[in-house]
Amino acid sequence: MDEVKNVIELKNVTKDYGDFKLDNVNFAVPEGTVCGFIGQNGAGKTTTINLILDVISRDSGEITLFGEPVSKDTAYLREDIGVVFDEMGFHEFMTGRDINIMMKNIYRNWDEEVFFDNLKKFSLPAKKKCGAFSRGMRMKLQIAVALSHHARLLIMDEPTSGLDPIVRNEIIGIFREFVVEEDHTILLSSHITSDLEKIADEVVFINGGHIVLAGNKDEILEKHGILKCKKNDLSKISESLIVSSEVSDYGAEVLVNDRHAAEKLYPDMVIERAGLEEIMIYYVNKK
Amino acid sequence: MKGLVIKDIMCLKKQLTTFAFVIAGVVIISILYVLSSRFGNLATVGEALLDENNNMSQVDVKNLGSMALVMFMLIPIVSLGDMLNVFVADGKAGFFKVSASLPVSMKKRMLSRFLTIFVLCGIGAAVDLALALVLCTLTDIMSFGSFLGIIISSASILGIYSAIMILFCVLLGYGREQYAQLFSLLTIILFFVIVKFRTIKYVFVHIIIEEQGFESGVFWKPLDYFREKGYVFLTAMLIVSVLSYFLSLYIAERKRGVI
Repeated sequence: MDEVKNVIELKNVTKDYGDFKLDNVNFAVPEGTVCGFIGQNGAGKTTTINLILDVISRDSGEITLFGEPVSKDTAYLREDIGVVFDEMGFHEFMTGRDINIMMKNIYRNWDEEVFFDNLKKFSLPAKKKCGAFSRGMRMKLQIAVALSHHARLLIMDEPTSGLDPIVRNEIIGIFREFVVEEDHTILLSSHITSDLEKIADEVVFINGGHIVLAGNKDEILEKHGILKCKKNDLSKISESLIVSSEVSDYGAEVLVNDRHAAEKLYPDMVIERAGLEEIMIYYVNKK
Repeated sequence: MKGLVIKDIMCLKKQLTTFAFVIAGVVIISILYVLSSRFGNLATVGEALLDENNNMSQVDVKNLGSMALVMFMLIPIVSLGDMLNVFVADGKAGFFKVSASLPVSMKKRMLSRFLTIFVLCGIGAAVDLALALVLCTLTDIMSFGSFLGIIISSASILGIYSAIMILFCVLLGYGREQYAQLFSLLTIILFFVIVKFRTIKYVFVHIIIEEQGFESGVFWKPLDYFREKGYVFLTAMLIVSVLSYFLSLYIAERKRGVI
């Protein structure tokens, strides 16, 4: 069996801003997968992405991209990476044509034909200034750029936030097309868990600068469950199974980290499958 | 890297449009100047200055006239070579994130800024040289060598200013470009005052306070220096640019996200 290649690997990565610390972050993104990077606003998603791209410097730890350690001398690795930020970043006076002129003089593998095809496909006028674009169009423009230099890895920071469901769905469709190729990988940061449930193979949860959960999405969804019980029954549940709980006047809801074990141990209690959003909320509320 | 230089020049699109009008204006003014100095009011003023009892010679009057023309001629270089708008536009768009995600190292990103300066100063100087060639062919205002010296000196001074401004922009970060501009000007003025303190003091005391009148030697010394020592300014620009590049790179490597 072929060994799984990791496109992104973070080992003990730390970045301290004083009021916020990304602490000892470890995770890996295997080749050919879509990895959802989940966390609430301010959890450290953008900082992590900036560290991966070497936009900011890390205090300690090691980051590898395509198996090579990231340093100030490895800018060439970004030839194979398409990046989409939450804000466009291109000057508002620029048109699609201007961006093409700039990028073809930057990326060795820049493909003009693919770029203009993408603009057409995403219904983006090539001659219109991008300052006049809507938020959805701006995102699509970034995606068009990211897909026009034959990148093997897409890193996206909240690309679907602030977009209406139709545009979000359209963008997710674009990502699906991208990962059809076996060696294409996506790291997709978002707090919109419904998008990630649709597309992600792997998920990494980050909270307060710490990775709280990382692994295969289906396995995580399969393992976790919401156990509903009376308040008095809460003490009967094994602590090793409880991630966190919410108690109200009507009873208690507990996120358990082994749904099947809980079903066997507590056959009288109701245990439902948990969605990524519920899992995120319970992990964030964990004391 | 070439793409980033192109982007910087795109940021100056508005400036380039203004540049076209500036060139047209300078050409018209130069024609009017030449005509006026031969047959019009400037010729009359020149004669009047010679008639007055103010120690002025024919050379002084000619120099005074050519100084005025040179001032006009330098407008193209000045109007083109201001890097401030590039930083303002990059800061407004948040382009530093995009540029940091491109396969271009920090060294090259920084170098592209300096290349932009050289390209812009070069274009401005080339336009001025073309104009100077026409003027010195049609008139005897100044020799082409003198024009060349002044243009090289001016373009170099603008290059020095821009190189210092890049350093301050990197040091202060986006959103503080106006301060960077102010500090760059102050740095150049301070340098000039320190180097030429004695001359400035002499002019101030003898000519302005004691009103000892026009002194040829003192007044035309800077013009002569500009005309003849263009290579000094050019060398200074290269040295300042290299120093500014390495200092800016050092700061940018540590600060990240400022270029």
